[in-house]
Amino acid sequence: MVGLSLGEQNFIKGGISQDLRTDGRKRLTYRPIFVETGIIPQASGSARVKLGVTDVIASVKAELGRPNPSYPDKGKVSIYVDCSPTAEPTFEGRGGEEFSTELSSALQKCLLGGKSGAGAGIDLSSLCIVGGKVCWDLYIDGLVVSSDGNVLDALGAAIKAALSNTAIPKVQVSANASSDEQPEVDVSDEEFLQFDTSGVGRHYIADATTAEESQMSSAVSLSINRQGQICGLMKRGGAVLDSSMILDMISVAKHVSEQLIKRLDSEIAAAEACDDDEMEL
Amino acid sequence: MEYVNPEGLRLDGRRPMEMRQIRAEIGVVSKADGSAVFEMGNTKVIAAVYGPREVQNRSQQSNDHALVRCEYSMANFSTGDRMRKPKGDRRSTEISLVIRQTMEACILTHLMPRSQIDIFVQVLQADGGTRSACINAATLALADAGIPMSDIVTSCSAGYLNGTPLLDLNYVEDSAGGPDVTVGILPKLDKVTLLQMDSKLQMETFENVMQLAIEGCKAVASYIREVLLENTKQLESRRGV
Repeated sequence: MVGLSLGEQNFIKGGISQDLRTDGRKRLTYRPIFVETGIIPQASGSARVKLGVTDVIASVKAELGRPNPSYPDKGKVSIYVDCSPTAEPTFEGRGGEEFSTELSSALQKCLLGGKSGAGAGIDLSSLCIVGGKVCWDLYIDGLVVSSDGNVLDALGAAIKAALSNTAIPKVQVSANASSDEQPEVDVSDEEFLQFDTSGVGRHYIADATTAEESQMSSAVSLSINRQGQICGLMKRGGAVLDSSMILDMISVAKHVSEQLIKRLDSEIAAAEACDDDEMEL
Repeated sequence: MEYVNPEGLRLDGRRPMEMRQIRAEIGVVSKADGSAVFEMGNTKVIAAVYGPREVQNRSQQSNDHALVRCEYSMANFSTGDRMRKPKGDRRSTEISLVIRQTMEACILTHLMPRSQIDIFVQVLQADGGTRSACINAATLALADAGIPMSDIVTSCSAGYLNGTPLLDLNYVEDSAGGPDVTVGILPKLDKVTLLQMDSKLQMETFENVMQLAIEGCKAVASYIREVLLENTKQLESRRGV
C-alpha cells in the first residue's frame, strides 16, 4: 500500500526511537482532533471527526422494532462500517470489505459487549419502550472518507460524538384495552438520550499514520471507559508479543486514553454548542 | 397529489423555475489528488480523483489515451430510510457508467497515454438529483486535480408535473413518477454530453423541459466557475505570487 524507501523507513523508525516522529509529535501524542456534529440532517444523530488527515463520518438512525425474544427488555444496536473508495483507491468495489468488517467487528466488540448486552458501552435497556413488544433499533453507520492511519480511533470518537448528538423522540404508550397486538405509539417531544461510550487508545506509539502503520509489527487496540475499565481489546498484526509487553501496552493506553477522553469531551461540547447557536440563528 | 399549488409554489416552497441552493467546496479529502463536495439542497456528494497514475491492471492499458474509471457509491445513511442494499447493485453500476462516459468526453485523454484516472463519488445524502450532483462534484474534483479538460461539464435535471416544467427535482418530486430529464452540458462549447429521460412526455413539452434543464446547467456552470476562480486565487496568494 505505502511505498517507502529504505531511507524513509529508517527515518520513521529512528524518529520513534528518539521520541520525535516525522510530523513532530511525541510517541504518545495524538494528532489534532476536529469534531463537527449534526452534519446529516436525515439521521437521528451524526458527527464528522477529523484526526489529522483521517476523516470519518458516523450517523445514528433510530427505527422502531421488536426486541429479541430472549432479551425482551432490551433494545437493539448494530454497527456497520463502510470504507469509501474516496479514502483509498484500493477500497474500490469489494476491496474495502475486509477492512470494513475488521473495523465493524472491533467496534461491535467494544461498544455492544456480549450477546445479552452485558458490559456494553451503550445501555440497551434505555432503548426499550414496551418490554417484549416495541423497542428502538439503533443503526450506527460509519463511513471512512479519508484514511491516514488509526481509522479505528477516529470511528470510535465519531460514534461517541454522534451518539451524544442523537435525539430520539420521547415515546408515550397508551395501553388501550383493545385486541391490537401492536401497542399504539405516540411520538411526541424530543428528548436527548445521552450514552456513555468509551475512548479507544493504542500503545507504544499512539495514533499512527499510514506510513507509520506500515512499519508496525503489531498493534493493540484497546477501548477504555471513563471509569478506566477495559471494554474491549484487539491485537492486530501477526507478530508475536510477550504477554508482559501487552500488559505494559495496556497501562500506557489507559494513561493516554484518559487525556483523549477529556479532549474529546471538550471538542464534542464545543461542536454541540456551535450546532445550537446555528439553530438559534 | 398536488406538486404545484395554485399560488405556483412547489412542495418545498420553490417556484417552478427555481433551483435549490447549491454549495461547493474544493479539497475536502486531502489525500486525494483532487476532491470536492457538492450540495444541491439536501443532496450532498463527495468526489475524489486519483491520478493520472500508473495503470493498475496492465491489460486495460492503452497506448494512445488515458484510462478513465469511475465508481459511484451510496452511504448507508444517505437515504431517508436506512439502506440495506449491497455494494455494486445495478443502479450504482449504471450511474458509475454514466458519470464515466460524461467525464471521459471532456477529459483530454490523448495527452496522458498509458495512465489511469480514477473518479470516486460518494453520496452522503440523497434527496433527488444525485446523478447531477455527482457529475458536478466530479468536474470540480477533476479541475482540482489539475487534469486537462476541454471544458467543465455541469449537469442539472428538470421534470414535468401538474402541467408545469419544474427545475431540479427533489426526492418527493422525483418519486412522483413523472418524467425526469437529466442533462449534462459543456457550457463553453454549448454542447450536450448527457441526456437521459424516464417516463413519457409530449415532443413539444420535452423541448421546453430540456431547455429548462440546460438553463439550470448554465446556472450551475457559472457557480462552479466562481468556486474554481476563488480556489485558484487562494492558491495563488498562498504561493505568494
